[in-house]
Amino acid sequence: MKPPSEDHDLIRWLDGEMNATEHAAFETRLKTDPALANEAQVLRALSVGIRSHLPADMTVPHADFFNSQIQVRIGQLEIDNERAQATAAPGDLLRWLRQPWLTAAGAVALAVLGLVLLRPIAETSANSFILSSYTPKIGVQAHAFHDEAADATVLMLDGLDAIPADRKVSGIHVKHSETEPQLAATTLYDVAGGRLLMISRDATGLPLIWSNSPRG
Amino acid sequence: MPAAAAPDPGEVPDIDLVKRAQTGDTRAFDTLVTRYRGRIYAMTYHLIQNDTEAWDLAQEAFIKAWRALPNFKHDAGFYTWLYRIAHNVSYDWLRKKKTQGDGEFDDERTEHRIAVGAEATPKGDPAPDTAMRNAELGQRIQTAIANLSTDHRQVIILREVEGLAYEEIAALVPCSLGTVMSRLFYARKKLQEQLKDVYETTL
Repeated sequence: MKPPSEDHDLIRWLDGEMNATEHAAFETRLKTDPALANEAQVLRALSVGIRSHLPADMTVPHADFFNSQIQVRIGQLEIDNERAQATAAPGDLLRWLRQPWLTAAGAVALAVLGLVLLRPIAETSANSFILSSYTPKIGVQAHAFHDEAADATVLMLDGLDAIPADRKVSGIHVKHSETEPQLAATTLYDVAGGRLLMISRDATGLPLIWSNSPRG
Repeated sequence: MPAAAAPDPGEVPDIDLVKRAQTGDTRAFDTLVTRYRGRIYAMTYHLIQNDTEAWDLAQEAFIKAWRALPNFKHDAGFYTWLYRIAHNVSYDWLRKKKTQGDGEFDDERTEHRIAVGAEATPKGDPAPDTAMRNAELGQRIQTAIANLSTDHRQVIILREVEGLAYEEIAALVPCSLGTVMSRLFYARKKLQEQLKDVYETTL
């Protein structure tokens, strides 16, 4: 069993990683050690073989489509950025979510917004259903159900830190929603037909929310 | 780090295209994609050993590059910077695959053919039997590399295909120089073992 340094010497010689002195000394060893010389020769041939058969440049299949898909995705990114900027606009409905107590209530806020709660749907026992949920705080799990007695949708957030008792968390009364498959976006409307929220996802799957409803 | 090939006379330099792309010029970025897609795809393909996944990951690398363009400082060449992104995208994919226990070798992965006109394609018209032996050897080498562990495959590709120095490999992986040397040594020994009949009988 050779010490690792000898193995390292062999590959450093092979890869041209030795200085002149080391290289000369190793060449001398090769002349006096037939076994080492043979191993070096095998590894060098292998190296040449790899370089010959693994090109550093290859033809990309469907190259035009490759480029065009990138352009499409870049275009989508730009749309996502515009939506994100709209979401961050001053006076936005979500401004209250960015208050200092967000650390504790952040999961509540985004989970609420990630839950698309629709008003009664006939033929279903539950009067709401969840299209998606998202909690940014690791460890917080969101669950929701409709309480018929209270005629309310109850949001359960397991694992959330306590929220100060004097904080009010209010919901939004959603009359109906419309989904636009091409934009992968859902828009929520209030009783008067006003647009409350538009919910979509960005390229990484995180929720994007745009609102022009009551100021926070 | 791998450097871009010298531009052809009259070709718009990378730096000009990058500056235009940084202002939102998607056509300039498209030119950069066209310029480097072959090299990025080759790198992802050699690492992943699956042409469909490699195609997707190469695209992902360009998308990430576009998103990160505002942070590109021009203190490194664009290709070097892009290469690092592509490497990280590919290696993350491999790690995820390994975590999911889906990293077993599938010999269908090596069906991809080397592009005609690729840099390493032998020049001239070899005799049919020579060409066939050459193709078979290429297949054997591809298969042997696909059989390596992710870490070993990675260093072999970076060294033999991309021609990176040990320090560059250590910085990219990242790991120590000693680890680079050990991985290279053991990767080569494993390749040597798999290709014993080829290299130990012809010498």
